[in-house]
Amino acid sequence: MKSIKNILFVLFVFSPFAITMAQSNLTYELRIGATRDVALLEDFPESFAGEKVNIKLANSSYSTFGTLETADVLTPLDFFFADVSSPALQAWGDSIYSYTDAEGVSWTVWRTKKEVKNRSQKVLRQNAYHVFETYVQGVTHGPSHSTAWLGWLCAGLLFLAGIVYSVVLIIQRRREKNLTPVEQETLRRKRMGMRRHYGSQLYLWLLLLVLYAPIALIAVFSFTKSKILGNWTGFSFDLYLNLFTGKADAGLNSAIWYTVIIALIAAIVSTLLGTLAAIGIYNMRARSRKVVSFLNSVPMINPDIITGISLFLLFVALGVSQGLATVCIAHVVFCTPYVVLSVLPRLSRMNPNTYEAALDLGATPAQALRMVMLPELWPGMLSGFILALTLSVDDFGVTFFTKGSGGLETLSTFIYSDARKGGLTPELRPLFTIILIVMLAVLIYINIRNSKQEEK
Amino acid sequence: MMKLIQIFSSRRTWAWPYILFMAMFVVLPLILVGVYAFTDIDGNFTIRNFMKFFTHSEAIQTFLYSLMIAVFNTAICLLIGYPAAYIMAQEEFKTPKVMAMLFILPMWINFLLRTVATVELFNMCGLPLGEGALLFGLCYDYLPFMIYPIYNTLLKMDNSLVEAAQDLGANRWTCFWKVIVPLSMPGVYSGIVMVFMPTVSTFAIAELLTHNNIKLFGSLIQDYITTTDLLNYGAVLSLVLLIIIGLTSFFGDHDSKDGEGIV
Repeated sequence: MKSIKNILFVLFVFSPFAITMAQSNLTYELRIGATRDVALLEDFPESFAGEKVNIKLANSSYSTFGTLETADVLTPLDFFFADVSSPALQAWGDSIYSYTDAEGVSWTVWRTKKEVKNRSQKVLRQNAYHVFETYVQGVTHGPSHSTAWLGWLCAGLLFLAGIVYSVVLIIQRRREKNLTPVEQETLRRKRMGMRRHYGSQLYLWLLLLVLYAPIALIAVFSFTKSKILGNWTGFSFDLYLNLFTGKADAGLNSAIWYTVIIALIAAIVSTLLGTLAAIGIYNMRARSRKVVSFLNSVPMINPDIITGISLFLLFVALGVSQGLATVCIAHVVFCTPYVVLSVLPRLSRMNPNTYEAALDLGATPAQALRMVMLPELWPGMLSGFILALTLSVDDFGVTFFTKGSGGLETLSTFIYSDARKGGLTPELRPLFTIILIVMLAVLIYINIRNSKQEEK
Repeated sequence: MMKLIQIFSSRRTWAWPYILFMAMFVVLPLILVGVYAFTDIDGNFTIRNFMKFFTHSEAIQTFLYSLMIAVFNTAICLLIGYPAAYIMAQEEFKTPKVMAMLFILPMWINFLLRTVATVELFNMCGLPLGEGALLFGLCYDYLPFMIYPIYNTLLKMDNSLVEAAQDLGANRWTCFWKVIVPLSMPGVYSGIVMVFMPTVSTFAIAELLTHNNIKLFGSLIQDYITTTDLLNYGAVLSLVLLIIIGLTSFFGDHDSKDGEGIV
């Protein structure tokens, strides 16, 4: 009974949010369309060689789209292979090519004049080609496919829950009128405590709601095959199938592999290096230990961008071509300190004499390490290894500066270049939904195990 | 040969490979940042690039703006994060571990993807992408870094001190301000450092959250360092950032151990 009341209360509090959600969805429905820029700078090497062009999302150009004439119909693929120097594209102006695909996404090629600075900072006027992916929402799909009904349904349910809750509350108050003043006072005290308790609970859950909203968005829209995040085109498992059958974007597949390979190499190397270093540091004299510990903390304090840039400068100075090897080295740099830190506490917990004893009994240092120290150290090494894996997979800043221009992409840099183009490869959604679910499962597992241990 | 074995049976030497590695890939690169900052493109010594920074209004303005954003973000994270950590650390809370993990779990989803999803969320709600979105996104990304160290110090806090204060007649409010807050300061310091430093150096998030309309110092550095001819100037900007980071970690070096359990 009590827990039902709590649920009702939470639902009641959230109902205004749901209503806003429903309404915002409705207005979204009426807009002409969400437009995003999917122009690839790399697709037009002729016009952009070495130049930086600031591409803005054409939010302001909705009206423009309505009045412009379509000169030609080209598929996006046609455009990508089209000769940029063709006469049709020679004249200045806003020549538009558009094409609507089966999903209701219209691809529009739009050309603008753009002021570009060249190497010597001179201002040049240059063609800029934009490929816009325009999704005309209200027209193609209509409200039946929208998510608005979900919002309204939630709002309705919440509202009903609120009414039920109020009724329950009123009945309860009626009953309490018959109590003595003392009983009423204790009840009031209890209520105060409860209110504080539920207030703090509510705060945390609200915070978590905000924290998880974007992630929930990814998870929900992994079950629809629409190219655009936030556009529901019906339930489907297509994205998951694409991901597992390798039908996803080739760039994504290679990014996944590179991420895994780099993370494994970095984690293994840094675990070995870090464990040895931890043993060494532990046995050092106080002063040199202090120095090495400081050195060890430098990569942890340094933000990504500094680590990345400094390594980038090193590789430039050495004339090393950047690629897989440099990324691996860079990852080892920022992973090893964490391994050292997770192994050190294990060392201080073990008996320092066992290693010496093994040596006295005729073991070689390698044997003593393998048979005496490793069994004691491996939990620390394992947690260091896992930490290194997560750090490596999650890293963006360092990878970005050390990956070179050879086309090596990890998941992070792939998402970045994808997001810069405006779109997001749809198969990323199921990928990260799976990661989230696995992580949740691990969390629940650890929690159950811990509580069982506590019971014992 | 015997001597070699002797050297390596002394465990002190086992750290040598790591020290060498660090010297090569941590110390040398950091020195190189300084070297590049004070040389021109041909490798001759010059302070022109350095002087350029002080007269380059775009760089100065971006720098100050980034500092401001970082300070704001740190303040917001503290205001939101402290109550959350405090609530979680309270005894009456039944499942503090799960809660703490729930706050850290989003960090396993790639932060760029979360940022893109945030942008999409803003679009869906019809909110404009600008300074507000930037602060929201930054706060969203770095809030766990604030909550975790504070939560840790609060957990470790000796509860008998609070009880003593209550026995001596302090009400809840006095007890909070005079006992709990001072005791949790180490966690607050390391939280501030852990939020401020990545915020001031952030470069991809700002770009995505504002569709490149707002430029932060990190993005500026990225622009210059990836342009071959302006690499030395990029090094100057990196050096400036490095100094800021050094100062922050120097001032924040009260009890950084509380933050180590994160990730």
